[in-house]
Amino acid sequence: MSAREAYLRWRYRLFPDHVVGEILSKNWIDNAIPFMFLAIAVAVFSLIIPNFLTIGSLGTMGELLAEYLFVAIGMTLVLKAGGIDLSVGSVFALCNFCALYLVNALGMPLIVVIPAILALGGLVGAINGFLVGFLRLRAFLTTLVTLILVRAIVELLSLNFGVNASYSETPVPQWDYLGAAQILGMPLSLVVAAVVALLTHVLMTRMRFGWHLSAVGGSRRSAYNIGLPVKWIVAQTYILSGVFTAAGALFYASRLGSIGGSVGVGLEIVILTAAVLGGNSLGGGRGSVAKAIIGTVIVVMVTNALVRMGLRTGASDLVLGLILLVAVAIDVKWMKNRLKVLNRAYVSPTYFALPACPPTAEGSGSPYEVNNKLATAQPIGKGELDGPEDIILDEDDNLYCGSRHGDVIRFFAPDYKKHEVYVHIGGHPLGMAFNQDRELVVCVGGMGLYKVTKDRKPVKLSDETNRSLFSIIDDSRMRLADDLDIAPDGRIFFSEATIRYEIHDWVLDALESRGNGRIICYDPRDGSSRTILPKLQFPNGITMAGDGESFLFAETWGCRISRYWFNGPRKGQTEVVIPDLPGYPDNINKASDGTFWCAILGMRSPTFDLAQRMPQFRRRMVYRVASDEWMYPNMNSGCVFKFDLDGKVLDVLWDRDGIKHPSITSIREHKGRLFLGGLFNDRIGVYDIPGADPEWTGIRHYWGGKTGE
Amino acid sequence: MSNVFSRMFDRFRGSGSAAITLPPMDGAMRPNTRIDEAEEVAAVMAPDNLAEGADGILLSSGARLLSLGPSKKTDTVWTASSDIACLAAHPPGTLAAGLDEGRLVIRGGAHDGRAFTKLGDLPIMCPTALAFADDNTLIVCLGSRDHRMSDWKVDLMTHGASGSVWKIDLASGASTCMAQGLAFPYGVLATENGDIVVSESWRHRLLRISPDGRVEVVIDELPGYPARLARAGEDGDFWLSIFAPRTQLVEFVLREDEYRRRMVETIDPEYWIAPSLHHPDSYLEPMQGGSLKQLGELKPWAPSRSLGIVVRLDGNGHSVESLHSRANGVRHGVTSCLPTGDGLLMTCKGGDVVVRAEI
Repeated sequence: MSAREAYLRWRYRLFPDHVVGEILSKNWIDNAIPFMFLAIAVAVFSLIIPNFLTIGSLGTMGELLAEYLFVAIGMTLVLKAGGIDLSVGSVFALCNFCALYLVNALGMPLIVVIPAILALGGLVGAINGFLVGFLRLRAFLTTLVTLILVRAIVELLSLNFGVNASYSETPVPQWDYLGAAQILGMPLSLVVAAVVALLTHVLMTRMRFGWHLSAVGGSRRSAYNIGLPVKWIVAQTYILSGVFTAAGALFYASRLGSIGGSVGVGLEIVILTAAVLGGNSLGGGRGSVAKAIIGTVIVVMVTNALVRMGLRTGASDLVLGLILLVAVAIDVKWMKNRLKVLNRAYVSPTYFALPACPPTAEGSGSPYEVNNKLATAQPIGKGELDGPEDIILDEDDNLYCGSRHGDVIRFFAPDYKKHEVYVHIGGHPLGMAFNQDRELVVCVGGMGLYKVTKDRKPVKLSDETNRSLFSIIDDSRMRLADDLDIAPDGRIFFSEATIRYEIHDWVLDALESRGNGRIICYDPRDGSSRTILPKLQFPNGITMAGDGESFLFAETWGCRISRYWFNGPRKGQTEVVIPDLPGYPDNINKASDGTFWCAILGMRSPTFDLAQRMPQFRRRMVYRVASDEWMYPNMNSGCVFKFDLDGKVLDVLWDRDGIKHPSITSIREHKGRLFLGGLFNDRIGVYDIPGADPEWTGIRHYWGGKTGE
Repeated sequence: MSNVFSRMFDRFRGSGSAAITLPPMDGAMRPNTRIDEAEEVAAVMAPDNLAEGADGILLSSGARLLSLGPSKKTDTVWTASSDIACLAAHPPGTLAAGLDEGRLVIRGGAHDGRAFTKLGDLPIMCPTALAFADDNTLIVCLGSRDHRMSDWKVDLMTHGASGSVWKIDLASGASTCMAQGLAFPYGVLATENGDIVVSESWRHRLLRISPDGRVEVVIDELPGYPARLARAGEDGDFWLSIFAPRTQLVEFVLREDEYRRRMVETIDPEYWIAPSLHHPDSYLEPMQGGSLKQLGELKPWAPSRSLGIVVRLDGNGHSVESLHSRANGVRHGVTSCLPTGDGLLMTCKGGDVVVRAEI
């Protein structure tokens, strides 16, 4: 191995590239850019402004932050449903004035003032909501008009009642408490804002209303088509925005008691900047409370810093405006290119060197030497099947196989001419086995482990396992359950080929060549599933070794067959049985003489083997070349071979010209005949095995004679 | 310097020189099954170059020169000392043949028995195509200085560009070089006005070379690797055989230096990711995604490293009509064609058959 290859091997072993793509595929990655911006801002300001991060300074910022936060959360709700609320500035001013008037001029108690002001905010929001939601006016123009109208009302009110509102004859201690109280060193307003933020977060992520918001913002038409009350949902967001703005105004009023004409002027720009800077999309559908918080913190910090740096008011607005512009630009570009970036980063091939490929050519004397024995195979269901990956026969010799349409199909013995849909499960039924109760247990690609009861009802056994400790993508859900076998004690061991791709993207897993798969044990006694062997290279076929303590499993891209002990003195150990197959193994099953059959679904080609050792080459290929033109493992040719536990190859069956069975994914011996399945084929093949036990059946071998016999 | 940066940028983006975009086969080049449906004239092992001799059609197959008789029969006219790489005939009965061993021989006519192993100072390595300009003048294409005709894949995959075109005065034996530094000239046609048209295979284009040495591109960006040319009639049209299609994967590998180097060093050329003359016949050959057999069938539009393509071009190099054998056919690797009175004869070198299609 050259130095370069040694370097590649270690580089890919030590630096897990796939993590980058997995992180990018997370939803919270939208928050990463604003968060970085925040970190940079904190660093810069604390460097250039002395005492920027002292307690006193944080306290002042905290009060402002809390008031803005209320408004920003309201804005987030509106943005998420695809709208915009520009009226927040004057609603804020209106609520501020009215609160002061109620308290100072009318001397009302807080128990009346607070609900009244919240209701007032909600009322203005309801007007917006009615106009935008129900009359379907443009949100931008409508709320702009509300902004101006409400501002005019505030002007009129302060002209007529300003004097009364500005000053109270008798002090109102509760009111002052609202503005000045501290809890654990934090302003009361900030504590309340935090609680509201938490509740809104729960509302948006865990409750129906939040999902409805996403639906409406993501695609209004689709939301309407699935029956959501779109108009009402949109209207609600404006009402909530009004209420939240009023809450912010209440704290502001109690803190400053100011009825000056500048209250709330320009607030809409500040809040919009905060919301968009945090990563809430102006286009709707994407947004969260966390984003609103990050954005608001940045904005408050920047304004605060600008003030302390001595910039004039106008300059501060200028800076905020510029930040808004940049944030909007990033928002647009990010939304447009996000999936592109993700697609580029997700596929991450790794270094993998296969052992030398054993020869297969005719006349080579190899145990895998090409022959044409399968030319005599007779077809079952030719042209009627679509993707029978695995096949199994029951005690009455009826034959079961899966199909791409999500059915399990039953062919009736003895001639297998007639067939019926035994059960429709969905997904793509792959590996099959009978359990002790003679129920069919099926691995369903895309769904998990299922069983079919005697009265033909599919029952889910398992579709999740324990999440591994450092996984970034959620690996508890099963993506591609592939093949299974059942231990004498009833435990079901099944393989999950890959945790990174869905079934239709299997080739990407081949191009990655990483150990993305695992073997899971389902225990019917307590219904639990545990991953027992992680990081396997597309684990595929599984079959019991016959000693009650171990099973054999095939790793397709690894071109090897291994044995794992789940019981007995060697429990937990793995041993490679055949390390260097000439092709990609699929299912393994029992042969009547105590040995094993293994299907090879495709053959290794020298160019693909070479590419496996050059991860960067494969990565570039995935990005540059159209997917139909990618180099694939050669799956237009396969074979079946027989081996024993020592790894000795005993027999091999080829379809030399690849006409009947270009790729073979499974084999099942039954009464002296070998049944052949193929994931991409349109038939099942039957091959008469010379000299095989004509009475042997798998189901009797596993579970004994018929029940009752 | 900017060149280095722009190349690096191209490599990063997959644009410019790193782009593997291929010209589409549409318009007159739209795929059909005319070669697959063509009438079989003779089943011959690796038929290669067709020529119209004095008394019938001649073609080369390995080291044998065959004459095409009626009723699918072929007669061996001559067996050369090594594979016949190219062939040209002139009506008065002169036949020129280029041999893989690096020799050019003239049979019949006024110059019978003349042989060349050098043109100028250049030893003949890879004669690929011949054409008579007149009784006395032979145009010769030499594909490469470094590789024999049988090693054409190596020349392509190592970015060979050492081909040349020569004019030989048969009377005196003097030869002049008309163009050099070509990337595998693989076909030549002499026109009435003294110009010659040459197909430059690895650069997927046709060149027109005038007697004064001026080189002009007739057509660029062909969707495959052009091989030999044949005159279509009196109106200046000509037939072009395209022996293999370009594919994205091959174009990509041609830009991947390390992979290509290791592939060339360690793998049998038969199993390379490279254009091929024939339909895949071993599972050791590379397979591409779209070629995965679904329900036992290979789709005709599957990506394929080999196809059968013959195109008729007008005098300006615009394609007028085309004949195809698609990915699910086997009549691939058409290296030469010859219009006759009752159709277009084509040699499918990869399909081991000579066929005649109606035109």
